[in-house]
Amino acid sequence: MTADTLDPLIHVPSRLRILVTLAALNHGDTLSFTRLQNMLDLTPGNLITHLRKLEDAGYLTTEKTGNGVASLTSVTLTRQGRSALEVYIKALRALLDGL
Amino acid sequence: MNGTHGTGEAGTVDEGGELDPREAALIVKQTAIQARRQFEPASPLAAVLGAAVFLFGYGAVWWSMRDQHVYTGPAGWSIAVLYVLIAASAVVGSRVSRRATAGVSGRARRQMQAQGAAVAAAGVGAWVVEGAPRYLGVSFKIVYGVYGPTVPLIALAAAGAGYAAAREKWPELGVAIAIIAVASGSTFFGPLGACGLTGLGCCIALLVYAAVLTVWLRLPPSAQQ
Repeated sequence: MTADTLDPLIHVPSRLRILVTLAALNHGDTLSFTRLQNMLDLTPGNLITHLRKLEDAGYLTTEKTGNGVASLTSVTLTRQGRSALEVYIKALRALLDGL
Repeated sequence: MNGTHGTGEAGTVDEGGELDPREAALIVKQTAIQARRQFEPASPLAAVLGAAVFLFGYGAVWWSMRDQHVYTGPAGWSIAVLYVLIAASAVVGSRVSRRATAGVSGRARRQMQAQGAAVAAAGVGAWVVEGAPRYLGVSFKIVYGVYGPTVPLIALAAAGAGYAAAREKWPELGVAIAIIAVASGSTFFGPLGACGLTGLGCCIALLVYAAVLTVWLRLPPSAQQ
């Protein structure tokens, strides 16, 4: 088994941290963009770009409520995202066991 | 994505390059531990404060009654000490809980609200029932000396134990059961025992819980299952 078996979309430090953080919540719970950004210490632009990539893959959903300065964006890990992370971690363990 | 954030920094996005599998495993472990700690509404500090409430609050009540050969009840100052400590502990617990759930919505928040309602109902119900035996002629010594410091506490701990069991929160379940056991057992030792043993026993149980929780929050999620 090689590193190529790891999901390339997840195998990036920032996106891995985003998914692991969201996976610590119960299924269906949402986390605000601001709290996620504070927890991961990423710039807003960086976080937005990673979230878009993960959202395009169906690993998470984002929802914006309100308008202007009062707007709030929340992020939710989907079942597909949780499952993809589990598969990634299993593959990572298998890879490390083989080293 | 967020009205207050632009996407102008997208060009600096970190794609990670060649991420070593060992490094990835470390990121998974560290991030999971950090997330659990930040989302966890229980805190070792709140547990230590709870232990202080039992030691000094119940201790004050016990101290004020220790020389009574005939039960006349605790001194007013000791009741005041107990309630001030309970209020301070509730404020700290509430702040810790709010900080942990800030920005989180959905099932977790609803569960916490439901838990709060269940625990409050159990505590208020047990406290109200205290009036019934007194109304039926049971002595002050039993109603206020033995029932008062133990039964509402047992009801609160039982509600907490049910919630902890449903969410598989083993340290919380353990401390709730310990509190129930200590408070139940102390009722056999009269008003002094009810206050003294409950205060001391629950203080020890909460200190042990704080130590366990400290270790628990440092474990990787796979080891917490």
